[in-house]
Amino acid sequence: MTEPAVVHGATAPPVLACSDLRKRYGSRVAVDGVGFTIAAGETYGLLGPNGAGKTTTISMICGILVRDGGTVEVAGTPVDVGTPAARAAIGYVPQDLAIYPDLTARENLAFFARLYGLSGGAARARIDEVLEIVDLADRGGDRTDQYSGGMKRRLNIAIGLLHRPRLLVLDEPTVGVDPQSRNAILASVEALGREGMAILYTTHYMEEAERLCDRVGIIDEGRIQAEGTRRELVSLVGQRDTVNLAATGDLPAAAAALAGLDGVVEATPADGGLELIVDDARGNLARFLGTASDAGLSVSAVEVVEPNLEAVFLHLTGRALRD
Amino acid sequence: MRAALAIAAKDLRQRIRDRSAIAIAIVAPFGLAAMFALLIPTGAGAFQVTYAVVDADRGPLAAAFRAGPLAGLVDAGVAELVELPSEAVARDRVAARAVDAAIVIPAGFSDAVVAGVAAEIVVVGNVDANLATQVATSVASGFIDELAAIRLAVATTIVVEGSVPDPARSTELAERAQRTRVPIDIVGTTADSRQAGSATFYAASMAVFFLFFTAQFGVLSLLGERRTGTLSRIAAAPVPAWAIVLGKALATFVLAAGSMTVLVVASSLLLGARWGDPAAVSLLVLGVVVSAMGITALITTLTRTEEQAGNWNSIAAMVLAILGGAFFPVSRGPEFLQQASVLTPHAWFLRGIGDLAPPDAGISAVLVPIAALFAIGIVTGAVGLLRAARIVVGR
Repeated sequence: MTEPAVVHGATAPPVLACSDLRKRYGSRVAVDGVGFTIAAGETYGLLGPNGAGKTTTISMICGILVRDGGTVEVAGTPVDVGTPAARAAIGYVPQDLAIYPDLTARENLAFFARLYGLSGGAARARIDEVLEIVDLADRGGDRTDQYSGGMKRRLNIAIGLLHRPRLLVLDEPTVGVDPQSRNAILASVEALGREGMAILYTTHYMEEAERLCDRVGIIDEGRIQAEGTRRELVSLVGQRDTVNLAATGDLPAAAAALAGLDGVVEATPADGGLELIVDDARGNLARFLGTASDAGLSVSAVEVVEPNLEAVFLHLTGRALRD
Repeated sequence: MRAALAIAAKDLRQRIRDRSAIAIAIVAPFGLAAMFALLIPTGAGAFQVTYAVVDADRGPLAAAFRAGPLAGLVDAGVAELVELPSEAVARDRVAARAVDAAIVIPAGFSDAVVAGVAAEIVVVGNVDANLATQVATSVASGFIDELAAIRLAVATTIVVEGSVPDPARSTELAERAQRTRVPIDIVGTTADSRQAGSATFYAASMAVFFLFFTAQFGVLSLLGERRTGTLSRIAAAPVPAWAIVLGKALATFVLAAGSMTVLVVASSLLLGARWGDPAAVSLLVLGVVVSAMGITALITTLTRTEEQAGNWNSIAAMVLAILGGAFFPVSRGPEFLQQASVLTPHAWFLRGIGDLAPPDAGISAVLVPIAALFAIGIVTGAVGLLRAARIVVGR
């Protein structure tokens, strides 16, 4: 998981604060009391299967869907369908490829730049910047119907960045793209988070949530089932990390030394090494390896196995994420 | 307003790049208008025949027939008359197709009418000119019918007064016979009256017919952008819903008014259409564009998908064009169709263009059609725009 450069958490006012969001379509409840906050520089993931209420939630946050209840504030300003000016602080990247195929990338960007009040030289300069960010600078003059799926996805994101929003909302931005483009998109999002942008990222890919998000809200059937850092969520399941050391030396003695450390629940010799059951393997790994070395072990390989969000989702809902 | 202009400019750029839009807005209506104008002429050039006339009677009623109904055909530019000495010669000319039909006034015709005995006018028709023969027969029958009415008037006078009519009365009756009009409404179809020439009529009718396909673009694109997701992205920008709808409407207006203007100019230069006073034509064009935008906006916003909207708009375009007389004269249809036509922009636009046919006709001649067109547009457009705004905002 990426370490956030700036996470103000509870001390600074959040960029996004939404609470008790509700939406019904007839008798079907799409969103039922969803609420969370996102600080500057923080990436918040809404993780849930298709139909869980992710897109409905962010549509209400972006002020493009009339909500039945709840409040939304972005950068301290209430957001609603009837208050278009408040939406200026939000960069919205919809799940659909919301670009015009019969326009070039630059024409697409110029159009949306004008909607956000950018024009002239300032708009051209910013268009150049975002094309660089998404690595499309050399193809900016091409019509987008000549783009690959991944390039369209990157342009889709670039449009959301045009006006330097305080809050970037990405709705399943990697759906249907090849692994290379997905990596490029994820790297871009990581970079934006490091620059201090608050990011709301919806996905049903557990790996993306684990890689990008400082905090994750697990959403299902229109409700946030659990929320926290990956570690906090994993702790809900009661599972711990496993560290497998491939090592030679006095394995029983080393196991005894490691078992006495804080955070080590269990240390047992295994075939060709040691198996440790620990809390926070990543945070304590250096300490574990130092103790093993002091005990005379020669470590040739380390494997860290952490319980993932898939297990958390399964624990909370009784279903797999992709069900 | 800035956002609305940006949306309008983007939409126009997309339309201009879409060649099918240009085809529907300009090429198709102009091409069809040219074809119709060439194949189905109307007005002075629509029906022209040559009749042989044989006056074997040489009496006063034969003279009245020639000076009245037959002269009327000539004055209307419908017929050319060729005097021939005998029925036999006339039949030969008809057989040789040198004339379309022959009208023979037999010897003793006037005397027979005065005596109250059977009298007839013979029409010799050409099998290849059926319509010309029918017109000649209709003219002759009408004259005979008028004579019967006149003779009845004479008889009534005699019974009431108990004597023959005085000379002044007889002169009046003879003058009435001479004034006997052509029993078909030829006067109403001349180029000098309130009907446009064929090139103008078909340019106008095809322009307004295809206008309904061009005018639906704006609201239709709202549905399209909703489907592709670009509408929600625009709505997520700091842009009010009305600005989005206004931008779409602006682009549609420019496209529709532009295509109508191009058609007016092109048909004038290339087809010889005579549209009339430019200011009045401009107001009529504005009115019909507004009404077409209003109707298509209303229809489109009552549907859920682009496909549904396209189908319903196509049906509406066809039905309104037929009802409005863009293809066939509604005046030949049943009364209820004629009454229904006043609900169509087509009828008002074509009526307006017809009203501008006289050289001295200006805006004052078309105030009613202009008002009707704007009224249709404002009423339907107001409802359509309100519904369009609901498409923009997710509910």
